[in-house]
Amino acid sequence: MADKMDVKQGTLALMILKTLDVLGPLHGYGIARRIEETSKNRITLNYGTLYPALLKLEQEGFIKAEWGQSENNRRAKFYALSAAGRKQLAREAREWHQTADLIAAFLAPQKEAL
Amino acid sequence: MRYFRAVLARIAGVFDGHRADDDLRDELRAHLDMATAENVRRGMRPDEARRQAVLASGGITQAVEAVHDRRGLPWVEGVIADVSYALRTLRRAPAFTAVVVITLALGIGANTAMFTLLRGTLLRPLPNRDGERLVYLRQSAPGAQERNVLFSVPEIADYRGASKTLAAIAEYSSAVPFTIVDSDGRSARLRVGVVSGNYFDVMGLEPVLGRLITRGDDGPSAAPQAVLAYQFWNEHFGGDPNIVGRTVRLNDKVATVVGVVQPAPHYPSRTDVFVNIVTSPHHLSATMVTGRAHRMSELFARLAPNSTVEQARVELGGIASAMFQDHPESYEKAAHYALTIAPLRQALNERAALMFWLLMGAAAFVLLIACANVSNLTLMRGVGREREMLVRAALGAGTARLRRLLLVENLALALIGGAIGVLVAFAGLKLMAAFAAQLSPRASEIRVDGVVLAVGLATSVAVAVALSFIPRIGGQRGLALPLAPTGGGRRTTLGRGRQRFQQSLVIAQVAACAVLLTGAGLLVRTLGKLQSVETGVRADHVLTVDLPLQGDLMREVMKQPENLAKYELIRDRVAALPGVDIAALGVAAPLRSSMFEADIKAEGRAVPPNRATPHAAVRMVDPKYFAAAGIPVLGGRGFETTDRRGTALVVVLSQAFAKQLFGDADPIGRRVAMTGDVLRFSPFSGDWRTVVGVAGDTRDHGLDNDATLTMYEPFAQDLIVNGALVVRTSSDPTVLQPAILRAIADAFPRQLIEHVATVEQIRDETVAPRRLNALFIALFGTLAFLIAMVGIAGVLAFSVSSRRAEIGIRMSLGADAARVRRMVLGEGGVLLAAGLVVGLTGALFATRLLRGMLFGITPHDPATLGAVALVLAAVGVAACWLPAARAARVDPAVALRAD
Repeated sequence: MADKMDVKQGTLALMILKTLDVLGPLHGYGIARRIEETSKNRITLNYGTLYPALLKLEQEGFIKAEWGQSENNRRAKFYALSAAGRKQLAREAREWHQTADLIAAFLAPQKEAL
Repeated sequence: MRYFRAVLARIAGVFDGHRADDDLRDELRAHLDMATAENVRRGMRPDEARRQAVLASGGITQAVEAVHDRRGLPWVEGVIADVSYALRTLRRAPAFTAVVVITLALGIGANTAMFTLLRGTLLRPLPNRDGERLVYLRQSAPGAQERNVLFSVPEIADYRGASKTLAAIAEYSSAVPFTIVDSDGRSARLRVGVVSGNYFDVMGLEPVLGRLITRGDDGPSAAPQAVLAYQFWNEHFGGDPNIVGRTVRLNDKVATVVGVVQPAPHYPSRTDVFVNIVTSPHHLSATMVTGRAHRMSELFARLAPNSTVEQARVELGGIASAMFQDHPESYEKAAHYALTIAPLRQALNERAALMFWLLMGAAAFVLLIACANVSNLTLMRGVGREREMLVRAALGAGTARLRRLLLVENLALALIGGAIGVLVAFAGLKLMAAFAAQLSPRASEIRVDGVVLAVGLATSVAVAVALSFIPRIGGQRGLALPLAPTGGGRRTTLGRGRQRFQQSLVIAQVAACAVLLTGAGLLVRTLGKLQSVETGVRADHVLTVDLPLQGDLMREVMKQPENLAKYELIRDRVAALPGVDIAALGVAAPLRSSMFEADIKAEGRAVPPNRATPHAAVRMVDPKYFAAAGIPVLGGRGFETTDRRGTALVVVLSQAFAKQLFGDADPIGRRVAMTGDVLRFSPFSGDWRTVVGVAGDTRDHGLDNDATLTMYEPFAQDLIVNGALVVRTSSDPTVLQPAILRAIADAFPRQLIEHVATVEQIRDETVAPRRLNALFIALFGTLAFLIAMVGIAGVLAFSVSSRRAEIGIRMSLGADAARVRRMVLGEGGVLLAAGLVVGLTGALFATRLLRGMLFGITPHDPATLGAVALVLAAVGVAACWLPAARAARVDPAVALRAD
């Protein structure tokens, strides 16, 4: 099994937003499965991590929740990205890329210095 | 924005928590089902699939908790839970709650009320602009028993000319009586202040309507102007907004109302109308302007920038001494003329300050006793709840959480008590203002405002905090510690430390109570002593009516024959009424000020150089006055109808005055005369008058003062400055009152009728402020007493009920009921005795503050101290009796089986 990783709050929010952006409205189970699969099972999300994060995004107005029918006719709560959420996703993704570039640039020259 | 929105959502979450919880559980269940189905699809057996899914979930309950914390505001929810829990607990213990709430309501109410009083009169800044810079000047002559001799025009000029520490000095004079004649021809007496043009500027007062009197209104050529006091404007003119420009007839002058002045405390006496100097011709008369001893004005001043009261005191003291030396003829050495200067705010409350602070102190004592009592009750209740606390601690409640629970409970108690207390204080506001009005001119400023409410709230919170932490004093254990088994049984007693603490609380209560009761006792005894003082006047069945002259007094006085005829006609008409025994005339009613005083010399007797010239009230009375007022003629004769103008001048002296003038020699036949500067300014003559009689002493200046030195003259023989009717009736005088007043109105419809009162009422007026003082202190004393007694009985009852087993053992070992009763009584008795010793010792010190308010007794009055000790001991033992009797009834068999 691959190394297990902890998810940080901000990171998880970004993952959730991106998932909803790519797959459209989805229930909690679907979101968890998608994130676990994308991470190649390096991340497992227990309910106590996932659902508070969903509630926080909902309270901040980035996602909306609605009860609906799942693919196999099960009642489930579906989460969908709001307009504000779409903007937030773009902003956070941009920040994340910048941070990643910065860290990469920061780590790279050290090799040259050797 | 994002944060704000989240907070709003969380606040909303606090309120619909239950619905959201159900929702979440459904959602999590659906998640679990989907995960299980997926596992089955991957080939697991159903039960294994379910197990794996649950394992991966990390726990449903934990997830609900995690979301829960995220959803609402956990801290707020905790407090709400605590509050509702506290209220439920308190509802379950109604007796405890009621006692605590009432006790606290009394304590907090008393304090809020007294603080309201204190704030309105003493603490709030004056409404005057820069009121802190105002000072009040007073000239006194202690050697001649004169507390306030006022200032003359030359004196004022001297101070104005020399002082650098005072920016400006303003004059105010209420020495001249005024009547106002309304448009309908009816007249009324008025309290008029004749003021200098700079008065309002110096006092820092603003008009609410029109303008105020200014410098331009000074001098003899100005037009008469009047400024109405705010209250008078409302009472007499109904707050008429068009009053400015109207004229009012004041004595013989017609003055124009130029404005209404803002509400402000009146000092030294209440004022209805302020007028400029020209409105009072007397103030511009030559003798008034040049006579150094013709003193008519009060002085107020504003300190110069950068000057202090202390500097002004030094400087003015110097000016005054120089003045006294330069004009020895106007400042008799033995009279010890002196100038005092005090901040106006202090002068206003000269009489009130000590009393009000004492009352505040008494109220604080009541609150302390109340707190001690409540914390005792809480302590005892705490023992019963120790189990509850242990269970809660065992279930995971932190110490902080438990402490918060207690604090919330105490807050609920204190706030309910405080709210009731503030309401009570609010209800008593009118009564309090009426009480304060007797002592302070600022009583009308007493009101419940934000500061008062804030202090009430702060007191309640402070009480709650104190109650939550006091029980820990003497407790050696933390809250969670007692988890250690104490033999598995129920603990029913306090630890030794707490027991001792509880006992000290009872001792403190009894002690504080003893101090308060001693103070109350002293004031009540003072009242009793005063009631038994002889006024020198027989008070029963005597009605008095004041019938003042109207118009410019100086001119009216000169119409002696007409005035005499008028008064004698009124007297004779009233005398003819059925039920009237005697009708008599005097310049003033018995026990009321005679309106005129003078220095008196005795023929052939020199005044010793170190003594001030004898000074006496001059009282004009008709022949029947002595009989009507019940003043005995002790030697010689009273007056006859033949003692009129044109016959030999005669006087009757009061006994004390005769003794001062002539010592033990017989005064009858000797001659006396008025003397001194005052004769130059008044129409009275300094002719020699022969003493024909000696009358009994009277106390006109209050029951706590010495006999008033008086020289009586025949009403018909000298000038008449005022008239008063003294009517002795055969039955209740108030029944005859309407007939008497009608007879006067029939004879002279325009005659002013004032101060209708029985002599009993006049006498009572002088005692009224003291009675209120005593009443308030006694009220606090009684409150404290009740609370303390409930306290001591409660503590003993608790001690008995927690020692049932011990008592049972004692009884089964042979102690009989009497012995058990003695044991419990002894326990209470020790506390009582200790409290009494501490309290009475404290009282010896505390009552020194009361010294100035006592009459006829010392602050260490043994009778009062003894009575307080006796009453406290007796009621205290009675309070202990109930629990003791209960202890004695313990059935050992039952008691031992109970636990």
